[in-house]
Amino acid sequence: MSTTTPTHLATQVYQIFIKATPEQLWDAITKPEFTARYFHGARITVTPDHYESLGPDDAVWGDAGVEVFDPPRKLVHGWRSMYDPTLNEESESRVTWEIEPDEDGVCKLTVTHDRLEGAPRTAEAVRGEGWMGVLSALKTLLETGKPLNG
Amino acid sequence: MMSGMDDDEVFKALADPTRRHLLDRLFARDRRTLTELESELEMSRFGVMKHLRVLERAGLVVTRRSGREKLHYLNPVPIRLIHDRWIDKYTERQVSALADLKAELEENAS
Repeated sequence: MSTTTPTHLATQVYQIFIKATPEQLWDAITKPEFTARYFHGARITVTPDHYESLGPDDAVWGDAGVEVFDPPRKLVHGWRSMYDPTLNEESESRVTWEIEPDEDGVCKLTVTHDRLEGAPRTAEAVRGEGWMGVLSALKTLLETGKPLNG
Repeated sequence: MMSGMDDDEVFKALADPTRRHLLDRLFARDRRTLTELESELEMSRFGVMKHLRVLERAGLVVTRRSGREKLHYLNPVPIRLIHDRWIDKYTERQVSALADLKAELEENAS
């Protein structure tokens, strides 16, 4: 495995349309009672200066700084995959959440995972199914009130 | 205007070999400029732009500015949603029928 990420994987963009208000989306991204229901069971708490993710067994899955905290529009925080020892060794990357109201009560949510140059394994791990699974579960939760597989 | 909620747009976007080819190119490596994408197709710049616009409207391609360049990213999420909505649903029954058969056979064996 190489130690640098191929350029095209160093910045990843995912976009999804969700029938919800910007405020509902913001809460779903920043409050543990929501994230536990779509983000692999992780209880994520985001405050203006800290991002924390706890696994179901209280293990620390994420612990990073917050760069932008602009409810209910934009959130930028650090990312380190602490749930996996190998991934945890890699350098910190960055996740940006952008919420834009579209029409008919629908919001466009864009997730950009970048600064992955020094985290090739993380880049592979979150690629495709990783973020896609999280975002489609988030959509199902907000639009039906139900977790995807529960 | 785009609603982005529309499966029709995704199916329409996928119902064209050039656009599927563009998606495959972006799947192999995205974050590309129009010029890069155009260089791999026997098609005018205008033609490629037109196809990219359809893909963008369907949410399959997302563009981001980086300095003076406009970069094209593959957004696989709409395909995943189509999969969840249309593929899973119709294959689930077979899978559960097989699971039932397995349970029955194992019960009889014990």
